[in-house]
Amino acid sequence: MLSSHFKFIFFVLFLFLIGCEKPNEIIDNEDLKSNLIQTYIDNARDTNNSVKDRNNNLEKAYGIYSTLKDDTFKVGKIHEISFGYYALKNYDKYKELNEKALKLSGLINDSLNMARSYAYLGIYYRRSELLDIAYENFYESEKIYSKINKEIYDAKEITFDHGKVLIDMARILQRIKAYSESEAITIKAIESFKESENERYLPLSYSNLGIIAKYFEQYEKAIEYHFKAIEYGKKNKKEISQTVTSYNNIGIVYRSEKKYDKAKEYFTLALEFEEFLAKNPATYARLLDNLAHVNFLSNDTSEIPELFFKAFRIRDSIDDKQGMITNALHLAEYYKAQEQDSLSAQYAYMAKDISVEISNNEELLKSYQILSEVLKSDEGVKFAQAHIQLNDSLQKDERLFKDKFARIRYETKEIAEQNQQISRENEILIIAILGLTALFLLGYIIFRQQQSNKELLFAQTQQEANQEIYRLLLNQQIKLEEGRQLEQKRMSEELHDGVLGRLFGVRLSLDGINQRANDGFTEARNKYIDELKFIEKEIRLISHDLGTESLQPDVAYIDAVESLISDLCEANSINFEFTNDENIDWEHIDDQKKVNLFRILQESLQNIFKHASAKTIKINFDYLEDKINLTILDDGIGFKSTKVKKGIGLKNITSRVSQMSGVVQFLSNNNAGTKVSVSVPI
Amino acid sequence: MIDDHPMIIEGYKNTLLGENQKEYQIRIDIASNCDEAYDRILKSSETIPYDMLFVDIKLPPSSDGSITSGEDLAKHAKELLPKAKVIILTMHREDHRIHNILKNINPAGFLIKSDLTSSELLLAFNNIVKGKAYYSATVNDHFRKMMTNKFSLDEKNLKILYHLSRGVKTKNLPNYVSLSLSAIEKRKNQIKEMFSIAKADDQKLLEEARKRGFI
Repeated sequence: MLSSHFKFIFFVLFLFLIGCEKPNEIIDNEDLKSNLIQTYIDNARDTNNSVKDRNNNLEKAYGIYSTLKDDTFKVGKIHEISFGYYALKNYDKYKELNEKALKLSGLINDSLNMARSYAYLGIYYRRSELLDIAYENFYESEKIYSKINKEIYDAKEITFDHGKVLIDMARILQRIKAYSESEAITIKAIESFKESENERYLPLSYSNLGIIAKYFEQYEKAIEYHFKAIEYGKKNKKEISQTVTSYNNIGIVYRSEKKYDKAKEYFTLALEFEEFLAKNPATYARLLDNLAHVNFLSNDTSEIPELFFKAFRIRDSIDDKQGMITNALHLAEYYKAQEQDSLSAQYAYMAKDISVEISNNEELLKSYQILSEVLKSDEGVKFAQAHIQLNDSLQKDERLFKDKFARIRYETKEIAEQNQQISRENEILIIAILGLTALFLLGYIIFRQQQSNKELLFAQTQQEANQEIYRLLLNQQIKLEEGRQLEQKRMSEELHDGVLGRLFGVRLSLDGINQRANDGFTEARNKYIDELKFIEKEIRLISHDLGTESLQPDVAYIDAVESLISDLCEANSINFEFTNDENIDWEHIDDQKKVNLFRILQESLQNIFKHASAKTIKINFDYLEDKINLTILDDGIGFKSTKVKKGIGLKNITSRVSQMSGVVQFLSNNNAGTKVSVSVPI
Repeated sequence: MIDDHPMIIEGYKNTLLGENQKEYQIRIDIASNCDEAYDRILKSSETIPYDMLFVDIKLPPSSDGSITSGEDLAKHAKELLPKAKVIILTMHREDHRIHNILKNINPAGFLIKSDLTSSELLLAFNNIVKGKAYYSATVNDHFRKMMTNKFSLDEKNLKILYHLSRGVKTKNLPNYVSLSLSAIEKRKNQIKEMFSIAKADDQKLLEEARKRGFI
């Protein structure tokens, strides 16, 4: 006793510990849970357990279910739990769980389970006679099934499930008398079943086809279908129930065809399965009622109304209200034929009341008709009117109902269309955006291209302008030089030939006269005549100097340079020394280079004047190994080369030098002047 | 007397006529340009030929352009009046000019105007009348310089040196001397070798040429 108590406490503690260690053993825990939930579900399924026990098990299963992580497995489990509730006839719970399953499978994108959940919900609504909602659910389910990629899942199983949903839809359509649609969908369902190689629902499908064929008055075809149903029923170990149902159906077909003997034959054949019928009183009652009705129609009154009563009693005992209405109507018809109007009216009233109770308007209509026929004039008229009214409203309802079904299909189609429209619009939008982007890019590229073209053009014109400036500069210099030379030459000649000649003449004359005169001043005059001779000599020298060296074109550049230097230096009162290596053949040097060197010099001088506070500038053009070296040296304050590196002046110089593929060096020290060395290959 | 300056003619007259009036009968004709001078020379060669010609080098050229200077005129005069004594009077004292005139005309008298005084002119006149040539001191200097050199430079070489001394660059020499640049370079090197200063620069060459009296 004590030890068992201990054991119990130990066990509890152990559980507690497991609970505490949950995070470490989560996988084990999942296994444990799935085992546990399976056990509960199995227990709930076991019909040997009491209803209460089964309910408890389902609740426990649901408890564990809610702790599972969201995945396909979890959806599978909630479906199983819902089946448990269905078996226990707790349909609301069944519906609630399947709605949860639908939401969950939507959440985890599990389309297969969504389809299943819709189908299960359809079953619920069909049970509740909410055919339109049921149809809607089946329809949604079917849509998913027809889209599912059957390669991922077990193709046969899905095809079978698809078939199930199709036949469910077909049967609903049959019930609302949308026969041709129902027929089409049934055929699709049969195809699915055959493809899935599971013939379980083929008998049901063929029965449905038979019923539809009967409505289309294709009796032979109808009978053929029903026989096929029996055939497939045999393969599915449902031989007896299917045979009974089909025989009943065949009987009804023959009855509609007014082949009463044949009808009687099949009803009787069906009634021979006594063992089966004993277990299925509803079917038994239906067969009896149908047999009786056929007998009545064929005027074989031998066993009626007893057969009607027998069926009615069975139906009453199992509370088969639908059956009771049919039965009551048959009886009313029978008594009307027997001209026992009061009895007929009694059964017609009964049919009417039960019809109202279960709101079966079609049966109500039939009861109204009989009542209107059997009752006395004013009451009969009242029911006739009720009949007309009901008939109208029924037709209207039927139309509305069909419309509703059509709308379900239409609306879902419309949503799909809308989606398509949206996706089309999105496509257009994306294309438009892409197009615009491409256009923008293109525009930008063109813009850049033009910009760079402009820049190039600008650089080109700038270069041309530079050359033009240089040319003008040079021309001006040359003209200046020419003018100067011309003037010098003129002066030189004038001095030499004119002034000098005449001076010489004068001196000679004076000298001649002086030789002859003897007034004692001869010596003095001779002195002046000698002086005149000196003057002549001087003038000759001047003339010689003026006349030397005519124009040299290459001197023009150096002259331009020199005048630049001297002008600037004079303006800024700075001394300068300029030397030009005579070996530089300026005449044959590219104008661009000359302009660049000129500008570099200009820029450097400006820098010196602005920043260096220099007193003397030395400028050299040297010629060394096919290179022109320009050196500009000042004795100013200098600069820190890092500090001024980004100045626009130095940048310009650097860019000009690199244009000529030359090298430039700026050497400077604080208070030690600056040296700019440019070396340019010819 | 051929000179384009009347003042100079005046000077000659004043000198010659003043002193020599007593000794010689002097008749003087005057021409101030080449055309006039040539006409007179031509005329005198047919009538009474001139004994003496005073010729200036720089003169306005003849209208047909065939006679451009006193040098040309002197050549003609020598043919037309072979007995006449030609006296050259010029302002130019450059060696290569003197050299040329001496070579082409071989005048009886060669006077450089800037050296000239009236007494020298008289001296020259008297000498030439007596058949003795008279040259100015400058011209004589030139002769002396030429003699001291073991070799002589031809006219073109002298021209090259002369222009170089004026500051003309070698590469511009073809404009002044009718030779190609490479020929000039060759001649320059020859001159340097003659001066035995091969491979020296132009500066040295000019110094040496001055020393030796070629400039």
